Amino acid sequence: MNHALGISSYLIVAPMLALLAASLVPVMLKVFSGNREPHPFVTTTYGFIAVATALGLAITFLGGSKFGFHNALVSDGLSLWASVIVLVSGGFSIFMMHDHVETQTKLFSEKVFLLLGSLIGMLIVVLSNDLIVTFLGIETMSLCLYVLIAMSRETILSKEAAFKYFILGSFASAIFLYGIALIYGTAGTTQFPGLMEQVGPLLESRNHLFLIGIVFVVLGFAFKVSVFPFHFWTPDVYQGAPTPVTAFMATAVKAATFVAILRLFQSTGYQHSLPLKEVISWLAALTMLVGNAAAIMQANFKRMLAYSSVAHSGYLMVGVVAAGFGDSQGVASAAGIVVLFYLLAYSIMTLGSFAFVALLEKSVGQALQVDDVRGLARSHPVLAGCMAIVLFSLAGVPPLLGFFGKFGLFSLAIEQNFYWLAIWGVLNSVISVYYYLRPIVLMYMQGEDSSANAPLIEMNKHIMTRFTLFGSAVLIIIMGMFSSPILAALKAAILGRS
Amino acid sequence: MAQMPLLSLIVFMPLIFAALMALMPGDRGVRPMALVASLLQFGVSLLLFKYYDAATPALQLVEQHSWIPEFGISYFIGVDGISFWLILLTTFLLPVVVLGSWNAIDKKVKAFHVALFALQTAMLGSFVAMDLVLFYVFFELSLVPMYFIVGIWGGARRVYATMKFFIYTMAGSVLMLLAIIYLMFAARDTEGLGYFTANVLELYKLKLPFTADGLMSPQALLFFAFSAAFAIKVPMFPVHTWLPDAHVEAPTPGSVVLAGVMLKMGTYGFVRFVIPMFPEAAEHFGWIFLFLGAVGIVYGALVAMVQPDIKKLVAYSSVSHMGYVMLGIFAMNTYGMTGALYQMLNHGISTGALFLLVGMIYERTHSREIEKYGGLAKVLPIYTIIFFIVTLSSIAVPMTNGFVGEFLILLGSFQASQLMGAIAVTGVIFGAVYMLWMFKRVFFGEKGELVSDEKHPLHDLSAREILVMAPLIVLVFWMGLVPNHFLSYSKSSIDHLMQNKDAYQLGVLTMEDATKRVAATIEMETVTAKATTTEAGVAR
Repeated sequence: MNHALGISSYLIVAPMLALLAASLVPVMLKVFSGNREPHPFVTTTYGFIAVATALGLAITFLGGSKFGFHNALVSDGLSLWASVIVLVSGGFSIFMMHDHVETQTKLFSEKVFLLLGSLIGMLIVVLSNDLIVTFLGIETMSLCLYVLIAMSRETILSKEAAFKYFILGSFASAIFLYGIALIYGTAGTTQFPGLMEQVGPLLESRNHLFLIGIVFVVLGFAFKVSVFPFHFWTPDVYQGAPTPVTAFMATAVKAATFVAILRLFQSTGYQHSLPLKEVISWLAALTMLVGNAAAIMQANFKRMLAYSSVAHSGYLMVGVVAAGFGDSQGVASAAGIVVLFYLLAYSIMTLGSFAFVALLEKSVGQALQVDDVRGLARSHPVLAGCMAIVLFSLAGVPPLLGFFGKFGLFSLAIEQNFYWLAIWGVLNSVISVYYYLRPIVLMYMQGEDSSANAPLIEMNKHIMTRFTLFGSAVLIIIMGMFSSPILAALKAAILGRS
Repeated sequence: MAQMPLLSLIVFMPLIFAALMALMPGDRGVRPMALVASLLQFGVSLLLFKYYDAATPALQLVEQHSWIPEFGISYFIGVDGISFWLILLTTFLLPVVVLGSWNAIDKKVKAFHVALFALQTAMLGSFVAMDLVLFYVFFELSLVPMYFIVGIWGGARRVYATMKFFIYTMAGSVLMLLAIIYLMFAARDTEGLGYFTANVLELYKLKLPFTADGLMSPQALLFFAFSAAFAIKVPMFPVHTWLPDAHVEAPTPGSVVLAGVMLKMGTYGFVRFVIPMFPEAAEHFGWIFLFLGAVGIVYGALVAMVQPDIKKLVAYSSVSHMGYVMLGIFAMNTYGMTGALYQMLNHGISTGALFLLVGMIYERTHSREIEKYGGLAKVLPIYTIIFFIVTLSSIAVPMTNGFVGEFLILLGSFQASQLMGAIAVTGVIFGAVYMLWMFKRVFFGEKGELVSDEKHPLHDLSAREILVMAPLIVLVFWMGLVPNHFLSYSKSSIDHLMQNKDAYQLGVLTMEDATKRVAATIEMETVTAKATTTEAGVAR
C-alpha cells in the first residue's frame, strides 16, 4: 500500500491549514508581548483575514469530486458550498464577537483562536468521507465551542450552558462512536462510498446490529442539530452562550452537521427499512411541531430564536428524509441542492436575527425579552425595518429568501411523495408566523400609546453588528428575488461531481 | 422600437413611487406627491384601452422572462377579459383612496403611503401573473402591507384583527402552495409537456385524473387546496370571520382597498385558476360552493341587519355581496360568470364608496354607532344624497350598477339550480331591508345625540370629499345604464371560458402584436377617412 499523499490531498486541506496558521497569530502575539491583550480590532482583523483566506482557498481548490488522504476526505460540490456557508457564518460571528460586551476585550484573542479552531473542525466535518473522520471533526468543533460558551463575562448562565452542553454532548458523542463501531462491525467499512453500497443488502437481510448502528449515528447527529427529542439543551445553551457564539452555533454547526447527515443518507438502500423511514419522518414532523409550539410561549428573545432554530432543523430533516427514502434517480443530489440552499438562507436569516439581539443587549447577563422591542420602529426605523425583513423571511413570506428555501424543500418532499410531511411542514410554518410576527407587532404597532416621554430604546453603537444585520436584510431581499444564479451554481457544483 | 413593457410598468410603477416616497425626508408633501403618483399610474393603466383587443379571448400584452428556471418559475404576465377590469378597478381606486384618506391618516403619513403603494403592486401583480408561483408570490406579498396598514393605523383591537387576518389568509394559501408544486411536477411527468413549469397556460393543458365518486382523486384534492385559499380570501361563509374584524379595525383607506380589491383576488382566483384547471372537480363539487354562496348571501344580510356599528354592517354586507359573486361563478354558465365579474367591480365601487362615506362621518363624530345618529338628512344634505345613491347601488336598484350584476347572477343561478336561485333572491330582499333600515335610522327621524350636539356642529362634505365621491357616483350610473361599455371588454373571454372549460386554452399576444394591430387600425381609419373625403370631393 502506498502511503505517500499526493499534492491534491494538501490542496483539499489548504483552507484548514490557513485557518490553523492564522488562528495562532493573535495568541502568539499575545504570548510574545508579555501576555498583553492585543487591541480587539487587530485580533478581529486577523480573524477576518484568516476566514477570508480560507474562503478564497476553499473556492479555488474545493469542488469537482476530488479525494484526499486515502479517500478519508472528499472535496465535491457539497463540501465546497457547505464550507462557504460555514466560513461566512464564522466571519460574521467574529464581527459580532468584536462588538459584544460578553465577548470583547478580555481574552479576546483566545476566543478568536477557539472560533477558528471550531471552524477547522467544521471543515473537517463537511469534507469528511469517513464516519471516523466525521467524528473527529465534530469533536474538534464541539470542544472549541464548549470553551467558547464558558468564556463569557456573564458568569452563571454561560457556565451552566457550557456544562450542560458538554455533558450532554459527551453522551451524544459516545453513542455516536458506539454506532460507528457497530457499523464497522457489520459493514466492514466506515467510508461513506463503501458504506452506501452496503446499506441496501444489510438492511434487506434485516441486520439489526447495523440498523442500531445507523440509529445511534443519527442520534449523535440529531443532538448536534437539535432534532426532537434531543433538542432540550438548545434553549438553555443558546440563552446562556454569548449572543455572537449563539449565532455561530445556530448557523455553522447546523450547516456542517447537516452536510454530514446528508452524506450518511445518500444511498437508496435505506428504502429497505420501513421502520427507519417512519422514525426519521416522525423525528422531522415532531421537531417542527415542538420547535414552533414552544417558540410561541417564549418571553426571552434568544429562547424564542432557539426554538425557532429547532423548528428549522425539522424543515431540514424533511430534506434528509427525501434524500434517504426517496425513490427517484439522483434524489440525493437534488436533496443536497435544496438542503444547502436552505442552510444558506437559514444562516443568513439567523445571523441577522442574532445580530439584532446583540444590538439590543445592554449589559452583561441581562436577557433580552421579546417585549423589550416595543416601539423600536419609532426610535430606530432602519434597524426595525431590517429585523422585520429578517422575521418575514423566517416566516416564509415571498419573495424573500426564506420562502424559496422552503419552496425547494417542500417541492423535494412532494416530488418524492412525502405529501404528509410537506403538508405538515407548511402548516407548521403557519404556526411559526405567530411568533415571528410578534416582535413586528411590538416594534411597529405598539409602544406609542405608552406616552411620548417614555425613554427611547437604547441601541448599542456596534458598527460591525449593525453591518451584519443590515447585510443580512439586504441579502435576504436580493438573493430572494434573484435566487436563480445561486441555485444554478449549487446545481452545477453538486451535479458536476457525478 | 423596443416593446414597451406596459403591464410591468403598470404593476411596478406604484412600487417605484413607494420607494421614492420612502426616500422623502419627512411627512410634508407626501400626500400631494402620492396623489399625483396615483393619478399617473391610473393614467398609464388607461393605455390598456389602446392596446387591449376586446375581440379576442387570447392573453394579451404578454411578457415572459425566465426568473428561477431551476424551480421552473418564470416571470410571465398578461391580461385578458377576466383581469382587464380588475386591473383598472385597482388603479382607479388608488387615487380615490389617497384623496379620501387626506385627513383620515394623521400619523406616519409617509409610511402609510409607502405601504399603500406597495400593496398596489402586489394586488396588480396577482391580477396579471400567469405563472402560478409568481401569482403566489404576489398573493402572499399583498398580506404584508395590509398587515401594517391595519396594524399601525387601525382601531383599538387592531393587533388582534391584523394577526387574525394574516394567519387566516396564510393558513389558507400554504396548501395552495403545495398544490402548485404538485401541479408543477404533474406537468413535468406528463407526456407532451415534460418539463418543470408553473406556467398557467401549460398547466391548463394537464389532464388531471378525476373519479366522480372519489374525494381522494388528485384533481379533487388540488381543487380543494386551491379553493380553500381563495374561499378564505373571498371570504366565503363559513370562513369569513376574519373579515368583519379586519374591516372594523382597519383605517378607512385600508377598508376600501380590502373590500374593493383584495377580496377580488379570491374570486379572481376561482375564475382564473380553479375552474379552468380543475373543470371536472369544479363541476362535481360546484354545488358546495353554490350552496355556501347562497347561504353566505342570506347569512351576511341577516347578520348585517342586527349590527349596531355602521362599519360592521357594511363589512357583513360584503360577505353577502361576495356570496353573489361565488354563486355566479359556480352557476357555471355565461350569465352567472358575466354577472360575477360585473359584481366584483360593483362591489369594489359601491362597498368602497360606503366605507369612504362611513369614514367621512367618523372623522366628524368619531363614532360609528347607528343609535347615536338620526336626522342627519337635515344637517348634511349633500352627504345624504350621495349616501342614498350608494345605498341604492348596494341594494341593486335598477339603473345602478348593482342591478346589472345581481340580475345576471340570479339569471345564471336559476339556470343552474332553482333552489339556490330562490335562496339567493331572498338575499336581495334582506339586503334592501338592512341597508334601508340603517339609512332610515341614521338619516331620518329624531336627531341623535351626535347630530343634535350644539357644541360640535357637523359640516357637510367639503369640496375634496365631493371630489372623492364624484367618480364613484358617475361609475354607479355609468355601469348601471350602459353595462355594455364594460361587458364588451370581457365578453369574448367569458364566452371562451364557458364554451371550452373542459379543455381551456389561451392564445398569446404580445405587445408587438398589439402595436401592429393599433397601427393597422389607424391605417384603416386614415384610408377610410381619405376615401370619405375623396367621395365628398367627387360629390361636390
